[in-house]
Amino acid sequence: MAWKRDDPPGTNPQQPEPPSPPRPLTAAAPAAPSAPEPPRRSGERATIGPSIFIKGDLAGEEDLVIEGRVEGKVDLKQHNVTIGKNGRVKADVFGRVVTVEGEVDGNVFAAEQAVLRQSGAVRGNITSPRVTLEDGSRFKGSIDMDGSRAAGGSGSGSSSSPGSSGKAAAANEGQANRPGSAANVANAG
Amino acid sequence: MSWFSSPGSREKKKEQRTLAETEPQVHRSLGLAALFEEFRRGRKLQVLDLGPALGSNVEFLSQYGCKIYIEDLFAALSARAPAGGEGDEAGPQFFESFLPASEPASFDVVLAWDTFNYLTRKELGHFMRHLSPFCHPGTLVFSLISILKTIPAQPIRFRIIDEQNLAYEIRTSATRPAPRFVPAEMNDLLRGFRVDRSFLLRHGIQEYLFVKEGERRP
Repeated sequence: MAWKRDDPPGTNPQQPEPPSPPRPLTAAAPAAPSAPEPPRRSGERATIGPSIFIKGDLAGEEDLVIEGRVEGKVDLKQHNVTIGKNGRVKADVFGRVVTVEGEVDGNVFAAEQAVLRQSGAVRGNITSPRVTLEDGSRFKGSIDMDGSRAAGGSGSGSSSSPGSSGKAAAANEGQANRPGSAANVANAG
Repeated sequence: MSWFSSPGSREKKKEQRTLAETEPQVHRSLGLAALFEEFRRGRKLQVLDLGPALGSNVEFLSQYGCKIYIEDLFAALSARAPAGGEGDEAGPQFFESFLPASEPASFDVVLAWDTFNYLTRKELGHFMRHLSPFCHPGTLVFSLISILKTIPAQPIRFRIIDEQNLAYEIRTSATRPAPRFVPAEMNDLLRGFRVDRSFLLRHGIQEYLFVKEGERRP
């Protein structure tokens, strides 16, 4: 082969790269004359890999992606929690935005929004001012959109007032062209 | 009442056409319109939805600030082989997993959709006996009963379009016989409830709004 990229030692070009967490683009940013900012932990994201099994409580100050198994409690009230497609969580999950693509057996408390993706399954109660259920997702439990109770009543980041019940996000976000979606059916009528 | 009399020739033609032959479409729902009178009272309602988790329905109901319980009876019924005979009937224990044991709830509204069409008379009796303690006087049960001879082999998915319209999504062309519950026996099967309102729709669906009897909450 005439052209070959020089791979760094220890990497295998045949294997897809694991999803890299978004990091602040400090290198490309123009040099600022002011004093350096403290590290922005909100942009960081930790991942629990598919082979990891954690039994106990999880807490932290950064976003979290769970692709493994967790039993206990996930408490990241100020941060986003994503249960990936491989993730299996048997715990109550507290987060700012909680996205479920895998399985959760427990209650979900999201201060801002709870999203149950098409591949996701939740057996438990969801408390959040905004709840998105994608078609095909499996859910058994209750949905309470009283914003004052979400994420243990921390109220962080929620703009919904109690009683207004927030507003559920569009159910078919990103799926507007799917046959049989509510939007299509309504338009057809 | 003429609505409840045996159907005439035009209705018989409709019976020959099954719901499964129709495309997903929007139907006006008089029962739903009546049901939303309750939602508009402004109280935070406890709603039990016996259908699958449909984001559009959750979205719509969220406008009324209600707490929604989703117990997907559809999934279990779909997975279960169609009850061919009395021996296949589900017993009382079959229904116990569909209502929250961990969180005591008293529902104001039960969205049964067309679930009852997929239960035998005995099963419906079991189910209502199990449901009844979770209801209070004044609880409303919204149900759509087919008067046609056949129904889709799997329950229809109903999406709330607005307070007066429902979209029907039929996911199979296969059909099965409909139990064809008649109004008189519905009152008997749903003991403790009575028909509050009933609407016969042109496409072969009779919508019922049952109310639990007793002294209503203020």
